Formats: sequence, C-alpha cells, structure tokens
Amino acid sequence: MRDAIELEWAGVPSVAIIHQAVKGSAESMAKLSGVPGYDFILVDYPWIPTAIWSEEEIQLLAKQVAPVILSRLTA
Amino acid sequence: MVNAERHEYPSYDALLDDYIERGWTDGLPVVPPSPEKVEQFLEAAGLNSDEVLGAVPTREVVVTAEHAAINAVMAGCRPEYMPVVVAAIRAHLHEKANCHSTTGTLSGASQIVIVNGPIRRELEINCEGACFGPGWRANATIGRALRLVIRNVCRAIPGFLDRASFSSPLRYSFCFGENEEASDWAPLHVERGHSADQSTATVHSTMTFVPCVDFTSRGPEEVCESWLGMLRRYGVFTDRFLGDGQNLVLVVGPEHQRYFLEAGWTKDDIRQHLWPRFQNPGPGDRPVMLGSPEGLLIVAAGGPGMAETWFMFPHLAWAITEPIQSIHTETGRR
Repeated sequence: MRDAIELEWAGVPSVAIIHQAVKGSAESMAKLSGVPGYDFILVDYPWIPTAIWSEEEIQLLAKQVAPVILSRLTA
Repeated sequence: MVNAERHEYPSYDALLDDYIERGWTDGLPVVPPSPEKVEQFLEAAGLNSDEVLGAVPTREVVVTAEHAAINAVMAGCRPEYMPVVVAAIRAHLHEKANCHSTTGTLSGASQIVIVNGPIRRELEINCEGACFGPGWRANATIGRALRLVIRNVCRAIPGFLDRASFSSPLRYSFCFGENEEASDWAPLHVERGHSADQSTATVHSTMTFVPCVDFTSRGPEEVCESWLGMLRRYGVFTDRFLGDGQNLVLVVGPEHQRYFLEAGWTKDDIRQHLWPRFQNPGPGDRPVMLGSPEGLLIVAAGGPGMAETWFMFPHLAWAITEPIQSIHTETGRR
C-alpha cells in the first residue's frame, strides 16, 4: 500500500492490490500516510497460498483484476 | 524534560483500566510512567528526551529516547536496564532489520534480544538454565520494553498494522544472554567486530523457533548432521532487499556444546563444516539462503540436561548488533 502511495507522490499513477487478510493494515497505512481515502483493489485467495498457484489459477485472477486496474489507472 | 502529554488518575486501577482501554499495553499490567521515573530512566542512559533512536519511515514514526524511557518504565525495567533497551531499539530500527515487515507480517515474527558482554552479569541477565523463560526481571522486562515500543510507538497493534494470523507468545518478551563463560568460544559480539568488554544487544527477528533435540549423537559431525536435517526441513529464505545479509541463529545448549569443545571445534569450524552442506540441497530439501558462512550466528546458552540446540529461523531481516552505551548511574552500576 505504501509503495503505491509513494509512487503516486512521485507522479506515477498506481493501484494497490490488497489481500483481504491485510485490508485493515492497508486502510491504516493510507490513514498514516495522510491519504485516508486512497482506494485499492481488494482480492482474496480463491485457493491456497500463491506460491503453489497453477498457471490457470493465476490467469483467472488476472482476468478478474486487470479490467479494474485499467479503469482505475485511466479514470 | 519529559514532553509527553500528562494524564492523571485517582488510583492505579483507574490508570490500568484506561491504559488497557486506550490500547497502550500488551494486555498485562504496566508500571505507571510518572515524569520522575521517565527522567530517571533518561538519566540512566545519559540521553536527552528528544534524542532520536531511529525511525520507521513507512509509518511516519520517529522513536525518541523519551519514547524508549516511557515504555521501559511501563515494562517494569530498572533504570540501569535502559542502555540495553536503547541499544535493542536502535538495532530493531536499523534499515536491514526490516521492522515494518517483521512486525506487520501475517507470520507473527518475534523479535529476540541477545545480550553480550559484561553487562549481562551486572544486570543479572540470565544466559543459563531456563534463560528463554520467565523468572528473571532483566530478561523479562528488557524484551517487553522493546515490544511495547514496537506496539505503542511503532504502531504494530493487532488489527491495525500488526496483521499476524496467530501471532506468538514470544511477542510478549524475549531476551537472554550468551553464556560467554561456558567455553573459550568467541562470543557473538566479538565475532561481529566488538571488543570482549563492549556490551552489545543483538536483535533477531524470527519466524520459526524450534529445538533440535538429539540425545544420540556422540560427536560434532553427528550433531551437525542432526542440525542439517532441521535446516533442510525448514530452510532459510531471502529477497533482493536483504541480499546476502540474512542471518540464522543457533543457540547451542551445554550437552551439544560439549561435543564441539571436546573435539576442539570453534564456532568457525562449525560454520566451515556446515557451509558446503548448505550449497547442495537434495530433492525435497529447502534451501538455506545465507550469503556467507558468517551469516550463521552461533550462541552458547541454556542449562544442562536436554541435549538440544534451538533454531531461530529468520523472518525477512538481518540480525543487527548494536553497542550498549553504558554510563555510571546512582546505583554504581555501569
């Protein structure tokens, strides 16, 4: 979350993708960084941890998230 | 001069209820940090209240000596422990200690303070039997002081920036000393470039803390083989930010230490024996990603009986050693 905020400060449009388990931290970090309303995309593990995702599982999540990322970056 | 906001309470019970309500404790009672006590602690460390000990840039946090003193009082420290607490905080806030990650992680990594040098004996920091457990004021309160700073100043509060799935009882407090007198092994701080009479605090963030119990080995090579089994099972991982600086800490109990001493093995001999064996993991083995043999830190501690060595597998951080800046205090201790 902080990385995305710092990139924004540097003039680079950014989108943070945040897992459900750290949603509270992301919100806290936005607040601490002085941008309490900074938006992010919330995802959840549809399966087991990322390290052992199959190619198909990665593609499925990417297809779900990519349009939202694009719309945020081009809004 | 103490700068913190003042709160007054009609009783200790009222103070404690309010502190817990505000989230200023680890759930256990604390000692009230009166301005007089905080001043006394600052004096014991020879520091001004606004002296900066470090920062957590990602959290917009700057940690001062006053923050350290308030939390050391609350943790139950004696004033003369303050220089150790200050060194531990400085170590924890070193860039490569990666404190934002190690205190916010889902894994619930814990911060371990290892004390070396003469101050261990002066402050009665236990490094022998039961040194990891309760019963010694210095061990219990120095480790707790660091954790209260992590919570109250650095904002690693469960549900806020601490997102541990389970967390760990090690997060209440974890501080012990190396038993430097048990052998002629070079102590940890000497191996890391300090003189033997310079006391130091080393802070190591650990994700997995497990014993290797082995009653059957009868020599240094056999003990090393047992250790390798554990290392290959758990592995040590790193990333680009940490580079080659990752550390793994092995705390060797007297029963295992005896085999190395009888065979004349130094700590470095152990490293040289293990290092080539880290390089070629077999099928199913996890890698041990240390940048050099010196990444393996060996500490002597514990009491006799159990033939065991404790492994402190790192979270994503270097173990950082900071000198303890001791001064004379009214108690006559250094």
